[in-house]
Amino acid sequence: MATYLLRGGRIIDPASGLDATGDLLIDGAAIRERSTSRISPPSGATVIDCEGCIVAPGLIDPHVHLREPGQEHKETILSGASAAIEGGFTTVCCMPNTTPALDLPSLVDFVRLKAQEAGKARVFTVGAATVGRKGEELAPMGAMAKAGAVAFSDDGDCIESAAMMQKVLLTCAALGKAFMQHCQDASLTKGGVMNAGAVAARLGLGGWPAVAEEVIIERDVRLNARVGAMYHAQHLSSGGSVEIIKRARDAGQRVTGEVSPHHLLLTDDLCEGYNTQAKMNPPLRTATDVQALRQAVADGIITVLGTDHAPHAVAEKARDFTAAPFGIIGLECALPLYAKALVESGAIDWPRLVALLTIEPARLCGLDGCGLGTLTVHGPADVTVIDPAMPWTIDAESFVSLSRNCPFDGWPVTGRATHVFVRGELLLARTPARQQ
Amino acid sequence: MRYLASVHDFLQIEGLTRMQLEQLLDATNGNVSHAEGRQPAKSTLDGKVVANVFFEDSTRTRCSFETAVHRLGGEVFTVAAAGSSASKGESLVDTALNIEAMGVAVMVVRCAISGGAAMVAKALRIPVINAGDGRHEHPTQGLLDVATLREALGPLDGRCVAIVGDVANSRVARSTTKALCLLGARVRLVGPPTLVSRSMEALGAVSGQVQVSHDLDAALHDVDAVIMLRIQLERAAGSAISSDYRILYGLTQARIRRLPTHAVILHPGPMNRGVEIDDSVADDPGRSRILRQVTLGVASRMAVLERAVIG
Repeated sequence: MATYLLRGGRIIDPASGLDATGDLLIDGAAIRERSTSRISPPSGATVIDCEGCIVAPGLIDPHVHLREPGQEHKETILSGASAAIEGGFTTVCCMPNTTPALDLPSLVDFVRLKAQEAGKARVFTVGAATVGRKGEELAPMGAMAKAGAVAFSDDGDCIESAAMMQKVLLTCAALGKAFMQHCQDASLTKGGVMNAGAVAARLGLGGWPAVAEEVIIERDVRLNARVGAMYHAQHLSSGGSVEIIKRARDAGQRVTGEVSPHHLLLTDDLCEGYNTQAKMNPPLRTATDVQALRQAVADGIITVLGTDHAPHAVAEKARDFTAAPFGIIGLECALPLYAKALVESGAIDWPRLVALLTIEPARLCGLDGCGLGTLTVHGPADVTVIDPAMPWTIDAESFVSLSRNCPFDGWPVTGRATHVFVRGELLLARTPARQQ
Repeated sequence: MRYLASVHDFLQIEGLTRMQLEQLLDATNGNVSHAEGRQPAKSTLDGKVVANVFFEDSTRTRCSFETAVHRLGGEVFTVAAAGSSASKGESLVDTALNIEAMGVAVMVVRCAISGGAAMVAKALRIPVINAGDGRHEHPTQGLLDVATLREALGPLDGRCVAIVGDVANSRVARSTTKALCLLGARVRLVGPPTLVSRSMEALGAVSGQVQVSHDLDAALHDVDAVIMLRIQLERAAGSAISSDYRILYGLTQARIRRLPTHAVILHPGPMNRGVEIDDSVADDPGRSRILRQVTLGVASRMAVLERAVIG
């Protein structure tokens, strides 16, 4: 395997507290040397000038939908793992709402084999917590964990029954795996397709209130207070949810919250004109919610970022607003959108953003144990080089994802991954802006 | 998705200027004698075919458009596709494209999908008229409502109109409220909190123009008109209605006495007599303008059809 010397970049490794200019030497599948002084290149090494760029641990997205098996016209493990690389992500965790649902160890094996065959980003499975994601019967979580499932979720659906939720939390606690909740009280969202409010009132569309998210988180943290599992609230949309999570964390619970680029940047008025690219679950809400979510990231209440990459075919999104599926894709444009919402707004700095995209999700999914989410000597050479100043325009047509459902299409943004290494293999190389 | 990208489409009241709405009202007035059969049919649609494409059941609106086409000298056929696979969003457009290819001049569309008429209009080259799309708008009903009120009350600036019932699920309430606001009237939306939410106040052009109230008795003393909405059980409003609906929100003979003497009563029909409105109120010759709405509905739809083919 090849040797690469990443020269003169700003090395940010939040897990070890490093933020300094330096060199990083990748040899084979591992990091061989990390130094704040110059490393002389071994013979045959490829030297990559990283001046002006951030050298970070490979980015991790703990929440993507890769649609395989069953909906390969939307995305496959290969196309999704390729899209991850384009966006700077070296690891993704795929949700189990495939057809069939990922609720058996053999399906966890299937995902791993497909990901190996693809040879792009690492793909880990978030296994279904209940059989068929129906919320009725526990899935074989222990066997799935042995097969490599990194966490559990019925994402796409909420676990409705409090009794079942308790069983799932007890099982996850015993396995030492996180449970990721899709927080949606179905009785409050029946017929809902967008945020309940003035825009929905004018368009005549069914409203989906923020309280539908909040009541589930409230219920779950109360259940979990007696169980002590790692409880993760996915794709937060409401400022009200933040308060509940803060209270649980202050009380010492291992509760985390996740937010997506669209909930940090967009509001429900984007649904005007029955724009299905603005239809997502949970729905886009108000500017007040956007502000509260950004503030929660700044305050360390929300510690995980996830794209909720949700591919849908063009014809599916072309249906009328009520019939069109929920969701948008995010992997290839998430990084500059996070930077815009969180760094450019002054909420946090780049080192914190890197932490939110690396060591934080690694800890959530137990990936830090195998050296992911950090840059350590002898650790896996999963590295993302980011040019934080690179200007570019999001062009959904150019995505390698099989889908095009992106409301950010045409947005001018700043910041992009220039080099991506997975297991020491260079999978993406772009020329940084200052070298163009 | 485009709205009124073609001036010939008539998809929603929202986005119209006051002048555009007043032109339609003037045209409606000019059509009344034709609509009543006192003058012979016009020749505006001579040699033209209009398609009524109804993905949702309707009697009144369908017949009204059919009559309006006849009064303009055109030919009309109706496709009743309710309940078929064509009521789904994808084939809505496909069905419309097929009918357009038959050489029709104008398409009138009703469907259960909010935003459905705009979807069809986007796909078609011919003018499209929205005859009701889901819970979004029913703009010709909005037009005929304000035409009826203007005839009864004169200019609507500063007037106050109560719209009572299942506002949340009503496309009529949306179109009529927007039209009234455009003409400078105030609107009071009245009904149970499960069917009339505060967010409906966003329908107003300016803050305070639309008020939400859950107390019908307190809402009647200063209104110039009351528009009763049909309780729409088919739109899943059922679970939001309790058995005391009539006691709280029915327009009973006793409640009528709270109204100013000049106030008139409208209802888009079909009525649930004895539920949202008493027989004697619906048939009150002094106050009820319910059948006049139907006549002016034909005149209004003539105006909209003329606008579609002439501009």
